[in-house]
Amino acid sequence: MSNNRVSRRQFLGYTLTGVGGFMAAGMLMPMVRFAVDPILQQHEGGDFVLTDQAVADITEEPVRVDFSFEQTDAWYVSEVTNSAWVYKEGDKLIALSPVCKHLGCTVNWAGDPEQPTQFFCPCHAGRYEKNGQNIPGTPPLGPLDEYEVQDQDGFVAIGAVRDNTLV
Amino acid sequence: MHFISKEMDQYLNQQDYVDTAVVPLLQLDLSANGMKPSAGASEYLQTLTALLEKQFKGRILLLPPVSYAKIANRQRIADELTEELQQTKFKHVFYLTTDSEWRTIDSMKNVLWLPAIPIEDMDQSFKKSVMEDQLRQVLPLFTKEWSHHS
Repeated sequence: MSNNRVSRRQFLGYTLTGVGGFMAAGMLMPMVRFAVDPILQQHEGGDFVLTDQAVADITEEPVRVDFSFEQTDAWYVSEVTNSAWVYKEGDKLIALSPVCKHLGCTVNWAGDPEQPTQFFCPCHAGRYEKNGQNIPGTPPLGPLDEYEVQDQDGFVAIGAVRDNTLV
Repeated sequence: MHFISKEMDQYLNQQDYVDTAVVPLLQLDLSANGMKPSAGASEYLQTLTALLEKQFKGRILLLPPVSYAKIANRQRIADELTEELQQTKFKHVFYLTTDSEWRTIDSMKNVLWLPAIPIEDMDQSFKKSVMEDQLRQVLPLFTKEWSHHS
């Protein structure tokens, strides 16, 4: 035993500081974690709805892909199923909204046998090119909307709707 | 379009384009044994008409289901509805029903009678494919009527 032995006063001081430090850390850590949590949140894929359509099966021919999500309408929560026309342009996935820009009917790819490479609206014979461009002389006044689309582990995931960026 | 006030504004502006009314006719059977099939038929009919509305939103106005008791006089309902719809600008009126008694009413045109399929026990994706099959049977009747008269 030498001269630098710990006195009772010092020992109690260290112990109280140590315990107090742990308690303070125990309180502060969750606070800090909660405070920075929004920054750590992964936004990737958060607003995208995963479908059961494999990306590998998508060709240059548009196919209908259905996707469901919950929609809250005031107090009424319902499951809504929407669909999109998905095709590949080179390696890029493209998803178009099937909602006709005229009065909101659902358009079909090759719905008119005479125009097999166009979208066709059965209500008032509106037509669109494959990239969603409306064909002049038919009722629609604008191009079809586009969905954000992603490849998530080999499956198509569909995001928010936006104005057509292809035309 | 649905029969809600928000969409009525749009309808009133677009009456030339929205030229078809769809009226679901729904029989209510509230007897102990009839309640469940009646509810199933109602579910079926309303699901089908909702899908139909989604497909043809810009051309049809889907009215709320006209519900009536088992003993109701179908002929009287038919006459009243026809009279009410005569003051509108609709060029085509379709009635959809699962009640076979409407087939005996000759004064109403375009009554589409569909046997109700019990969809309540099906899982979501199967129900969807069944209802889409049903829809595919109905769609050509509409497009045929439209191309016939225009």
